[in-house]
Amino acid sequence: MSEFNYLDLCVECVREAVRLGAEFCDVSAGTGRDISVTIEKSGIKTADAGQGEDVAIRTFVRGGMGYASVSGRDRRDIDEAVQRAVALAREATPDPDFKSLPSAQPAPEVEGLFDDRIAGMSVEDVVRIAVANLGAGKALGPEVNLSGHIGLSVGEGALASSNGVALESRGTDIAADIEALVKHGGDTGFFYEFDFGRQLADCRLDDVAVNAVVGARRFLGARRIKSGRRALVLGPLASYGFLGGIVAAANAESVQRGRSYLCGKVDETVASPVLTIVDNGLVPRGVRSGAHDGEGTRRLPLTVIDRGRLVSLLHNSYTAGKACTKSTGHGTHSGGISPTNLRPALGARPAAEILREVKDGIYLESGELRADPASGDISASIDFGFLIRSGELVHPVESAMIGGNIFDLLERLDAVSSDAREEPGVLMPTLRIQDVQIAGSE
Amino acid sequence: MEDLTRYLCDLAKRRGASFADVRVLHRQSESVLVQDGRADKLAASTDRGVGVRVLVGRCWGFASADSLERPRGEKCVDDALALARASQEFVNDPAMVAEAAPTVAEDCRLPEIAAGQMPLKEKIARLLQYEHCGRALGGDAIVNSIVSYSEGTREEILANTAGTLVRTAGARAVVTCLFVATDGKILQRGTEHRGILGGPELLRQVTPEEFSVRAAEKALALLKARPAPAGRFTVIFHPSITGLLVHEALGHNAEADAVWAGQSILEGRLGETLAPETVSIYDDSTVAGAFGSYAYDSEGTPSRRRPIIEKGRLAGFLHSLETAAKFKAAPTGSGRAESYDCRPIVRMSNTFMERGTVPLEEMLRGVERGIYLMDGHWGYVFVQKGQFICHAGQARMIERGQLGDALRDVSISSMTLDTLKKIDAVGNDFEMKMPGMCGKEGQSAPTDCGGPHVRVGDVVVGGRAQE
Repeated sequence: MSEFNYLDLCVECVREAVRLGAEFCDVSAGTGRDISVTIEKSGIKTADAGQGEDVAIRTFVRGGMGYASVSGRDRRDIDEAVQRAVALAREATPDPDFKSLPSAQPAPEVEGLFDDRIAGMSVEDVVRIAVANLGAGKALGPEVNLSGHIGLSVGEGALASSNGVALESRGTDIAADIEALVKHGGDTGFFYEFDFGRQLADCRLDDVAVNAVVGARRFLGARRIKSGRRALVLGPLASYGFLGGIVAAANAESVQRGRSYLCGKVDETVASPVLTIVDNGLVPRGVRSGAHDGEGTRRLPLTVIDRGRLVSLLHNSYTAGKACTKSTGHGTHSGGISPTNLRPALGARPAAEILREVKDGIYLESGELRADPASGDISASIDFGFLIRSGELVHPVESAMIGGNIFDLLERLDAVSSDAREEPGVLMPTLRIQDVQIAGSE
Repeated sequence: MEDLTRYLCDLAKRRGASFADVRVLHRQSESVLVQDGRADKLAASTDRGVGVRVLVGRCWGFASADSLERPRGEKCVDDALALARASQEFVNDPAMVAEAAPTVAEDCRLPEIAAGQMPLKEKIARLLQYEHCGRALGGDAIVNSIVSYSEGTREEILANTAGTLVRTAGARAVVTCLFVATDGKILQRGTEHRGILGGPELLRQVTPEEFSVRAAEKALALLKARPAPAGRFTVIFHPSITGLLVHEALGHNAEADAVWAGQSILEGRLGETLAPETVSIYDDSTVAGAFGSYAYDSEGTPSRRRPIIEKGRLAGFLHSLETAAKFKAAPTGSGRAESYDCRPIVRMSNTFMERGTVPLEEMLRGVERGIYLMDGHWGYVFVQKGQFICHAGQARMIERGQLGDALRDVSISSMTLDTLKKIDAVGNDFEMKMPGMCGKEGQSAPTDCGGPHVRVGDVVVGGRAQE
């Protein structure tokens, strides 16, 4: 990695910002490099590489925030950015709700976020993964059309603040995402698959294309269905997006500002008792793990929904100060709030058993099932779904939609599977929701 | 910086590239977020660097650095060459570049008010005024309001080994607002966006009445709207929804890289009749002042108007230098890169349907029972399947030719080719006010879209109530 000391740079910038009049300041700086190989038409199209550094300065004057970022490490640019951040903070409206930035909170590093094997990989190594996928995917048939990316990134950085935060971190990640298109007569099957990790040992990158092709073939023969009320089973990928949307709505700033459908719902029942969601940024090797958040607050596991009750919101230092509580460690350096690794509590019965009980329903393999962040209303397309009849997936579905409200769906959630797809840090079970409005086109 | 771009091009050629282009780019931006009566967050950013793309044998290589120092540029050249060479033997579909005449040009479009000439205090005051006017309409019913403004400048120099040398400079500005209203039981949102090819003059052009007041009105009106029905309906698209249709459903399918990769439903259909004769759809980056406009694309090809559908027939695709070579077509100036660290890819600019002849009232008269979709919010498409989704912020029932109850949160899902065929009326009006950032392959590009009102028979609406 770089021999440059980013922490020293951060500390210098903080000192300068305070000298210029910032009452509070934190600075993040770091470097990253990435390699990416693009697959198109079942061959390699291009190989790309990039390397960059950036410095971001956040300052507060009477609670008003100024933020300036700059790419590269040109000292004049950085000095100008520090001056700009302070000048912007002076122009911002004073905000009495701002209390303070986090103070130093030492915490042990989370294990497994940096892998020397990934850091040492060359473009030839990334090409080899792409070639392995192309070979395995194309071996399944001449009609297979693969596209996608194989990529890795390696980064290191530091964070320092006027409250004594002084942190260094480094990380690696590698990912393969591949789309498969299968044409059979006039019919088209399409699906995507992915794998990713902070450690090479956690990934099975060579298998992604085969899984995508198998998935695409399942979507051949899509048919229209009639409108009606049906059970909705969310497969692991669909459930991840659905639950992620709920945790995102538990953003304390959105709730404090009155724009989230979860306003006024803390300590209330918002879902059926089968649902418990934990956000845990400390999972070893987790894709969104880290000992601290973007402001330097120590992370801790947070139960957001406990047996159907909304028990916690996600806080950064600003919203925590406003609510006279502690930050939950979900702050970003630019002042936002972001979830980490979602770990829903698993149920008692496997997904196959939950599915077998459905007489008439839709199985949503993947796709957006997100509620409007204010109203909670849902009007979503069934992009990758199957009709379920008597516990079996009968055929893929086309031109159909799901309508409803998030609270209705959460109330009718009656099963969480005991088995789950597990990706580094993340658990993705199968969910079942009864009596959902489906709009069909038959 | 011209010296650096030329030097790196020459270096790439000497070291084995059959084609190379080098882009040097410098971007600066400033943004202000006003929320609940306060200018909450003020931000600025500066970004500069160089990107080198090389063609070696059958494959592309691309490398970038956030520095304009010559040694970093030289390393980019070497890295890009090594990346291309490492992939040679695994290329199915050899890369190529159209032999276009080199472009040597300069296009500097400065905003009416240069960055820094409008004091920050004035910008904040105008944003607070927007917010105040919107809030005044709703009183206590408005529980949250956000008005955000951002402006950015972009200077770029492009050189390639074919002799192209293009220097461009431009600016864009965007202002958006969000009002959240409640009746004590539910929350509803109203939004508006405005964007121009220009600078802070936008804040002097946009009045509260046509912007923040309208957004607040939407939020308040939605409190009284009922959930949409579910099922198949004849629908009338407001121009903003027509914009989503032509951008999402058709435009992405007309990007020639998707067509060449066998991932577009338009593959092999050039010249086919896809829509009634009344339908003509264009992508045009020369529309004066429009958010998606530019003079030269990121490969140096001059901007132009690009027919996609003319009188119902598929007339053409959007091309970069590479896809033009593969299709033996002329480059259309559609190769755009978000920044120096991105390769140019085929993108849309301002995409729209041309106006027709039918007044909205006449369109409505022909509908016994249907839905009028307004306030296009967002959409997405699966080009591989030809399926698209559009979300309308507002809608009205149509009953016996008259606009009826207000509806909320309505999305539609349909198949592109079916929908185009089912267009049975094209309005005599036109609006293109959907400035936004279109995402593709991890890159964002400024675009706009619009058109007239159109009527489409038999579309699936994702509502909550069974019809």
